[in-house]
Amino acid sequence: MFRKILIANRGEIALRINRACQELGIRTVAIFSEADRDSPHVRQADEAFCVGPGPVPRSYLSIPNIISTALITGCEAVHPGYGFLAENARFAEICKDHGLVFIGPSPSVIAAMGDKATAKRVMREAGVATTPGSDILDSPAEALVAAREIGYPVLLKATAGGGGKGMRVVERAEDLERAFASATAEGEASFKDGRMYMEKLILNPRHIEVQVLGDEFGHVVHLGERDCSIQKPSHQKLVEEAPAPMLPERTRSALHEMAVRACRYVNYSNAGTLEFLVSGEEIYFMEMNTRIQVEHPVTEMVYGVDLVKEQIRIAAGEELGYEQKDLRSRGHAIECRINAEDARNNFAPAAGTLSKVVFPAGPGIRVDTHVHSGALIPPYYDSMLAKIVAYGDTREEAISRMERALRDTTIEGVNTTVDQCLEILATPEFREGRYHIGFLPSLLAAAAAG
Amino acid sequence: MPEELPQPELSARVRRLAQVFTETGLLRLRVERAGETIELGRRARAAAAYSDASANPDGERPRRYDAIKADLVGVFRLSRPAPAEGDVIRADRDLAIVEALGIRNPVRSMGTGRIVRIACKDGEPVEYGQTLFEIDRG
Repeated sequence: MFRKILIANRGEIALRINRACQELGIRTVAIFSEADRDSPHVRQADEAFCVGPGPVPRSYLSIPNIISTALITGCEAVHPGYGFLAENARFAEICKDHGLVFIGPSPSVIAAMGDKATAKRVMREAGVATTPGSDILDSPAEALVAAREIGYPVLLKATAGGGGKGMRVVERAEDLERAFASATAEGEASFKDGRMYMEKLILNPRHIEVQVLGDEFGHVVHLGERDCSIQKPSHQKLVEEAPAPMLPERTRSALHEMAVRACRYVNYSNAGTLEFLVSGEEIYFMEMNTRIQVEHPVTEMVYGVDLVKEQIRIAAGEELGYEQKDLRSRGHAIECRINAEDARNNFAPAAGTLSKVVFPAGPGIRVDTHVHSGALIPPYYDSMLAKIVAYGDTREEAISRMERALRDTTIEGVNTTVDQCLEILATPEFREGRYHIGFLPSLLAAAAAG
Repeated sequence: MPEELPQPELSARVRRLAQVFTETGLLRLRVERAGETIELGRRARAAAAYSDASANPDGERPRRYDAIKADLVGVFRLSRPAPAEGDVIRADRDLAIVEALGIRNPVRSMGTGRIVRIACKDGEPVEYGQTLFEIDRG
């Protein structure tokens, strides 16, 4: 096992990784930006190094300073968390070149899955159903031909895209050229990669993802699915739950089987998530995230597995030590993302000082957070303040615990998504477990219309 | 088309400007005259000037100290011959290096002055923004 790990992240996930390391008896080195000097992740690590100023490109994405920190502090491995460098194949490669273990899959798998067009091709080869779509489109003219074959409505997507950026819904041929230009520009601006591909737009699907773990010895298991269909209009997730409600068992098994098959095909090692769109009984692979996900706690709650510890053990060369038949999902878990955002104003992010923060506690409640009363929210980073997770023996119990937990939450100083989450939980659609990715945008539109 | 300066005269002018440049602690200097442009620049070393009022108990004008800070993470090593506290720097010079990923990144005095404090030990790891030297600019 490793003796010392560098945590190349901030916020709640840096604390989450630090906790796993403490429990495994591993010393930790935190990195931080000048804006995060007083953050809890800095205090809780055994050592901490400032790697740059507040803006992300000069600190949390500063590969030379991060690698240099790992080397001079004698770290053996780097945990990238999510976001920042977590899916940067070059960073994983550089870690390897400097004798550091990157806690994640191999650079070649990260690269293959990070390129959405390549990922789809690989999945098709593995026998996983993918959305009807195109290869890379070099021009609006090529896009027009592809759209005619696939059939409108179509979704134009930047091959390097994520978080809804570089993505456009096109319903008619006459809108395609303009959408192509703006999505390409957005891809260029956000990811330095404006290459586009196209997919059939599946109307009102559910976003269901499967958690997988693979080790260096070829063992692969799944840890069930999460329903992440409650998404903001920008396609960012807000509420997630495990297991997915109202899902026919046949579809559930098919999702699990496809995820495991895909991982075996690419020799996947470490934790990963395969995201699917599910429409009726149809399943379409969307993308694979080669890292720990924000919403991993709901899986941990129902499976009783510490995914971050598993990531570290696998990276250290340990065998999984259990098989699929040893894993059982029990009960139900829901996560609400508490963001510093104004839900009534297009989820505009807010920065400022949190004058008062009180988080819930009690049976079945887990709060993963990095904020506290008096904390300053810098403008440079993600707006997520906390993840509140509620567990119950049944979905009903998990919902009522979550409602209680959200009402027990006080965050003053910035707008948050607490009330929006309560509103979602109260809807008949959510309570019955019958919702799809169009649900939250239409709920918001209805609220705006008064 | 402006007439080109003979090379020796150009290099002499650049040398004179470089002298002014290093003495002032400027980061960029651009001189344009009669179609001729000389531009000098250097990397910011996150140098921060501050006053040490405690050094002036008699209420004299506070002395202006510059903190020369690390702009990367690495291992601090003093230049040879090693500078010492109290040394007077008469021209811009290397004081130390910050070694990172096998690259020796020079730490310059950014002009003249007197070394008030060497804030790191030779061979010590340093982080971004850490004060390495304090210089009295007089």
